[in-house]
Amino acid sequence: MKKSIIQGVISIGLFFGMWFSLKEIDWVGIFKVEQLTDKTEQKLGDLFWEGIKKTEQENKNTDVTHAIDSIVNHICLSNNIDIEKLNVHVIMKDEINAFALPNGHLVIYSGLILNADNQDELAGVICHEIAHIELNHVMKKLTKEIGLSVLISITTGNGGTEVIKQTLKTLSSSAFDRSLEKEADLKAVDYLVNANINPTNFANFLYKISETDSNIESYITWVSTHPESKERAKYIIEQSKGKLTHFKSILSNDTWNKLKEELNDFDYQE
Amino acid sequence: MIHSNPFNYQLSEEETESASNSYLMSLIAIIAGLPLPILNLLATFIFYLGNRNSTYFVRWHCTQALLSQLSMLFINSFGFWWTISIIFTEENITNSYIAYMLTAILFNIVEFIATMYIAIQIRKGIHIELWFFGPLTNLICKSKS
Repeated sequence: MKKSIIQGVISIGLFFGMWFSLKEIDWVGIFKVEQLTDKTEQKLGDLFWEGIKKTEQENKNTDVTHAIDSIVNHICLSNNIDIEKLNVHVIMKDEINAFALPNGHLVIYSGLILNADNQDELAGVICHEIAHIELNHVMKKLTKEIGLSVLISITTGNGGTEVIKQTLKTLSSSAFDRSLEKEADLKAVDYLVNANINPTNFANFLYKISETDSNIESYITWVSTHPESKERAKYIIEQSKGKLTHFKSILSNDTWNKLKEELNDFDYQE
Repeated sequence: MIHSNPFNYQLSEEETESASNSYLMSLIAIIAGLPLPILNLLATFIFYLGNRNSTYFVRWHCTQALLSQLSMLFINSFGFWWTISIIFTEENITNSYIAYMLTAILFNIVEFIATMYIAIQIRKGIHIELWFFGPLTNLICKSKS
């Protein structure tokens, strides 16, 4: 009995001793795990953005880009987020949609801006998407749904355009896991509060959109793919309770109205 | 770590074959069901059930084979689920994970070689007690006479 106990303890000790000793070595650095994923993310982001640029029209009007950049800059500065990591693009499309791509690309459709009653609603959606980027949800979703091997094969040019197209569709028109969506919502509330923006407007936006006429539901990609908008609005309100201080708008009313005017008057090119 | 000890009675050809097969069983199952660590344990357990009324020598070795598989089950299951959580959840590849997998692989290789060696020796009629599992088997498996 004594013999087997001693030998058992030695065996277990040997196992854990070896594990803990090997743990001291920087395997992640040796196998370049992070470098591989960083490079893959960078290449994927650029590939997807190139794909969008080919089919959609980007609005580069300075009134539009300055207004959106002001909102994004203010959010990032208030939350110590590295602004250099983000690439914000406004795409001219009627759909109410915004989504994040790998490597910090943040795509906002003009339909979303035009359907926002005020800038705080837009800021809420932007914060939600920045949260997805900051929490690394984009790569997690891609790795889970497509697999790291396919992602790497896309970046090495073996993926084919159809795979890129399908992957892009997954990113632009399907939601993340419920838990990831909630995490991004709650993080967005923190970002909004830190940026002195009223999170209630973000919740109102979700309420408003969820009660929109079902005939135009197909245009509301951002909400129809994000389940349980009302429930989300509720926990956003709950999360912002007690955090409400004094809020101020980032853009002047003139700049906000000018932004909408520019989007309405956009000259579409064939 | 391998310790041999002669049995005190003449072993028949059938006995050494059955006892040796109990180790081979786990080896075959390792190859067949490598991603699922439970398969080799199941194979060894089924073989153990089939031979529990056999002679003392066969029973003894079936028990030792089962016990050695059981310990590997814990190590491999932990590694298996850790890998699954990295693939499907927010878990990341860390130094700790790689170190664990390397340790687990090394223990598996040692166990694989030891099992292969023991299967050959038992077939020749040489009784072998593994480190830790041998004394443990002596405690569990008693002669009926």
